[in-house]
Amino acid sequence: MFMTPSDLTSRDTYFEDFEPGEVIRHARGKTMTEMDNVLLTNLVMNTAHAHFNEDFMKDAFKGVAGFDTRVVYGGLNFSLVVGLAAQDTGEQVIAELGMDAIRLRTPVHHGDTLYAFTEVLEKRDADRADAGIIRFKHYGINQQDKLVCELERTVLIRRRVAA
Amino acid sequence: MTDTIVTDLKSRARTWHRGHYYEDFALDQTFVHHWGRTLTEADNTVFTTLTLHYNPIYTNADFARAQGHAGAVVCPLLVFNTIFGLSVEDLSEIGGPFLGVDKMTHHRPVIVGETVYARSRVIDRREPKSRPDYGIVTWATTGLDETGAPVIDFERANLVRKRP
Repeated sequence: MFMTPSDLTSRDTYFEDFEPGEVIRHARGKTMTEMDNVLLTNLVMNTAHAHFNEDFMKDAFKGVAGFDTRVVYGGLNFSLVVGLAAQDTGEQVIAELGMDAIRLRTPVHHGDTLYAFTEVLEKRDADRADAGIIRFKHYGINQQDKLVCELERTVLIRRRVAA
Repeated sequence: MTDTIVTDLKSRARTWHRGHYYEDFALDQTFVHHWGRTLTEADNTVFTTLTLHYNPIYTNADFARAQGHAGAVVCPLLVFNTIFGLSVEDLSEIGGPFLGVDKMTHHRPVIVGETVYARSRVIDRREPKSRPDYGIVTWATTGLDETGAPVIDFERANLVRKRP
């Protein structure tokens, strides 16, 4: 590669740029469409047809307003929330180490819009000098300000190279 | 005329059921889930871009190689969702909504072109007083590479319907 990583990524997304306790509101939201849910649910071979059979859901939840339709696969809800937070909290990530306490609080249907917030829980040194470890807590909310999901995520993240 | 064919089919067919009920799960029971899955460049690019996961190690092979990887890294959330997806028929297809995941560990980056396999073990089963028609089952699920070494593991719990 003739470019360096710092040519291609933001200047303010390194280990040093996060302080425990700070809360970040990420710039973009995304509307979860039928295309997103059905394409990705089928792509990962999740066989539960509550996510891709409209006729089945109409019948199974007959008369339950708002629920008699396909429901978005929950794994995609928190994957999109991590994605919405990823340019800010993931661009310098060397390795995703793990996640914990993932909780899905509100179902998502086609047409709902998700937004992401992040709280910095903890920072610590890694066993290599060019990176550190950060534990984030991510929150997803919908267009009605309902909490959709929350999760903790631990990453190995690059330190800024001394200029 | 064609309606007659449909009526006849419906009267003669047996439904080939898929999935398991609460009674089908015993503590420590293990499942080797179906199929396995090669994680292709198409999978990774579609998943990473549709979920807006902007870290170039997933979408720029040149960048990933400069970081010491053999090629573009598979977005770890795609690894998770693929292992989860492969486990659904055995574990949770007949159930209620999936409520959460704990203790997810990525053991190493997975590179585009690798194949992953899924297996699970029942680590808890109980009957909530509030829902007599459901049980709650917790599983430890592992994603394995072509050599059988773990690439991811996690725990999840689901409401699972009792046999009608």
